[in-house]
Amino acid sequence: MSAETDIAVLGAGPAGGAAALAAAAGGARVVLIDEQAHPGGQVWRKKDVDLPGLAETPETCAGARLRGDLEASGATFLGGTRLWHIERVEGGWRLHLLTRGDRAETLTARAAILAPGAREFVQPFAGWTTPGVYGLAGATALMKSQGCPPGRRSVVAGGGPLALFAAAEILRLGGEVAAVATPNGRGDWLRCAPILAANPALARRGAELIARIRRAGVPILWRHVVTRAEGDRALIRVHAAPCGAEWAPTGAARAFDADALCVGHGLIPNVDVAVLAGLPRVYDADRGGWVVEAGPDGRTALEGLFLCGDGAALRGAETAARAGAGTGQAALADLRGTPAPPPAPRRPDLRARFGRAMTALARPRPGLLRLTRPNTVVCRCESLTRATLDAAIDAGAAGLDALKSATRCGMGPCGGRYCLTAAARLIEDRTGAAEGTVPPPVPRPPLFPLPVAAVAAGFDYDDLPIPAPAPL
Amino acid sequence: MTRPWDIAVVGGGIMGCATALGLAEGGMRVVVLDKGDLCQGASGVNAGTLSLQIKRVSLMDYALRGHELWEAMGDAVGFRKTGGYTLAFTPREAALLEERQTLKRAAGAPITFVSPKAVWAAEPGIADSVVAASYCPEDGYANSSLTGAYYRARLTEAGIAVRVRCPVEGVEASAGSFALATPDGPVRAARLLLAGGAWLAPLAAMLGVDLPVRARVNTVSVTEAMPALFSTVIGHATGLLTMKQKPNGTVLIGGGWQGRGTPDAGRGQVSADTLAPNVALACHAVPALQDARLLRSWTGFEANVPDFYPLAGALGGVEGAYVLGCVRGGFTIGPYLGRLMADLILGRAPERPLFDPNRSFEGDT
Amino acid sequence: MSRTADTPAPVRITFDGRDYDARPGESLAAALLRAGVPATTQRHAPGPARGAFCWMGWCQECRVRHRGRWVEACRLTVYDGLTAEARRAADVR
Repeated sequence: MSAETDIAVLGAGPAGGAAALAAAAGGARVVLIDEQAHPGGQVWRKKDVDLPGLAETPETCAGARLRGDLEASGATFLGGTRLWHIERVEGGWRLHLLTRGDRAETLTARAAILAPGAREFVQPFAGWTTPGVYGLAGATALMKSQGCPPGRRSVVAGGGPLALFAAAEILRLGGEVAAVATPNGRGDWLRCAPILAANPALARRGAELIARIRRAGVPILWRHVVTRAEGDRALIRVHAAPCGAEWAPTGAARAFDADALCVGHGLIPNVDVAVLAGLPRVYDADRGGWVVEAGPDGRTALEGLFLCGDGAALRGAETAARAGAGTGQAALADLRGTPAPPPAPRRPDLRARFGRAMTALARPRPGLLRLTRPNTVVCRCESLTRATLDAAIDAGAAGLDALKSATRCGMGPCGGRYCLTAAARLIEDRTGAAEGTVPPPVPRPPLFPLPVAAVAAGFDYDDLPIPAPAPL
Repeated sequence: MTRPWDIAVVGGGIMGCATALGLAEGGMRVVVLDKGDLCQGASGVNAGTLSLQIKRVSLMDYALRGHELWEAMGDAVGFRKTGGYTLAFTPREAALLEERQTLKRAAGAPITFVSPKAVWAAEPGIADSVVAASYCPEDGYANSSLTGAYYRARLTEAGIAVRVRCPVEGVEASAGSFALATPDGPVRAARLLLAGGAWLAPLAAMLGVDLPVRARVNTVSVTEAMPALFSTVIGHATGLLTMKQKPNGTVLIGGGWQGRGTPDAGRGQVSADTLAPNVALACHAVPALQDARLLRSWTGFEANVPDFYPLAGALGGVEGAYVLGCVRGGFTIGPYLGRLMADLILGRAPERPLFDPNRSFEGDT
Repeated sequence: MSRTADTPAPVRITFDGRDYDARPGESLAAALLRAGVPATTQRHAPGPARGAFCWMGWCQECRVRHRGRWVEACRLTVYDGLTAEARRAADVR
């Protein structure tokens, strides 16, 4: 099936949701696409299960508000839908989608707004492939959508506020938390005090989270990283060691019995769609690593293609929602040929500063590389260890394309999402190159494993366009 | 200033690397330069098919020698001799198959015609709609993504200098010597071999030579690992499908369906409009592929000139400059042409004729 | 599992040859997790075990065979009678 619209918005989180609302308010035909069943994104996720008696949180309230607003708007929501390819066509962009029920469809839009959010980075460490070890953001998504804690007794590890939030959420859902290990020191948080003081509501929220964790008697291990997950068919124990300011482990580890470990080392903007569409990447650690340039109104170097939210720069939900609204208006203005609305006043934006400070707390530090031992699996799909990759790097594979070709690192079904960031750092470390000098490979479609039946469906052999045979 | 190289090879694909190895063996001091990395263009992203059934009749001798060389490279490049079937599903395709494979057989490829029953007996996963087929026991494949690591190791062993991420930005030719401008500084060499694949034309233009090089944008796709579905290389009478299941269970699907983009724009793009029929054709040949998931599709630029024969020889008008490229079936034939080129440059008589790059292409389309 | 009058009746699912109760609306991976089964590779096979990791449908570690095809267990909503096969441990290379 193929359809067309004025504006397609990819990603229904805070940024994409706001963009769709802004564009629809101006009367444009808007289709909002998300892989989840309901709008909300990762932060404002809707529960998929009906669990009476579970209290609302500020995030569930914000999500409910967005879903209500979208319902009342003229925007069409396409849930349970993933984009596998994007192509530039005459007068717009063609989005190749896999919708509910594994049906391949295309949507041609005069403008496309990408609001793809971020994904998680986890530095490979001993035992991270053990069942029961989860990404921190992933475990948070699990709790929000499924309403269940990740295990009976969990260790939560990661920088920034997400680890504290996840620990408090586990407790709220009736789970036990063995320990919270954060590579941040108390001093890191103290340095954020002025920003927190200027955001009393968010600061209060943080204090409540910490109080809840403390009340439950959960130890918070400052300046600690998880060094090892132990277990065969399931996790049984987690080892956490003190670390330095650059997050390299420095001392003897403590062990905690646990059947779940939620661990994350920061977020990465999802730029795959933007790069597949033809935009170049640049490295900017402050925005989240390899990013794509987009203006404050979401405009990119390609006509009719916009990018906003955490997928452009990691700044958090509040900032993303504001950027999304501005992007929706800019796309609408371009469509109408009217002048773009005046840019938002450049007053000091406390929320953006807050988002930036929180991102900085979670930004992975170079010492993490020490967690990846020679026998640690780096590429989960192909079970390739650091020693294997190091050997290929030493043999001359000094770029990710060459490393992929030589070892198959990143060529499994995850498409390299969970190894290539770490592999790039291994190359930089091994060859003495500076951080951010080994670019990720260009993403290849489909952006996720695509059922062959869907893409081949509807073809009659007699209709196959068969050109003249090759010269003899 | 350092002593000039005996020869600079521009382009570190299969053609350039294979020639460089022959030249080093012949005693020359060789440097290989690549704007990217070794074998990351067509050499490293093609479907890896080694099939005599899809080779041009007049290149069959070269292809047979090419097969021998790939077999000798063996496990290091993932070589497998599996045999291969070419399938026809309609009477028209069957006629095409018979006409074409008869000529290739006469040219020396051990191709036989087999009945659909024989096909199904050997390959139960093949569709029951086959009406005619041919078989060649010499067919198989190599893993193109391993060529870069393979040649890097061979070049290093041979003491050949390799400069990667080192695009040639200009060439100055003066009496018996070339000066190449690169971001890493000038590279001086007594001779020059252009082996830049789809990027040959701009390289030749630096020497004032106009080569009518165009590029096809071939699409290749790979599925997730599947249970064993078939064990040979499978093709289609029209040439629009090549397919093999690797030892790890993944299925590689090619056939020359065209993506978009040009070499000067940097990279090609997969076109959903051609990917869909390519995959549908694969499912038509092996219906169980319907249950697979497609992991990746990508494109590679395959260079050609209007008559679809190679460019392999001395570049007219520029003393000491040579060109090698535009070989239809270049993955199969490349290692052998590299040897012949090395002989030519070393002043030995190549055992088979090369392909004058200065020939006229008028009349060809 | 205690049930109140408000809680919808569970659905019955089968994974790797064993039956489990699941909550309507939840994913197969979540149902298995609550049942104490974090691994989505075969129970009785030698070799490394893997299970859900990213919970977002990307890492593919929780993929299972459902109706003859691979699907991410974290994106597969349970239904009464759902049957899925575990990934073979031998396929974890």
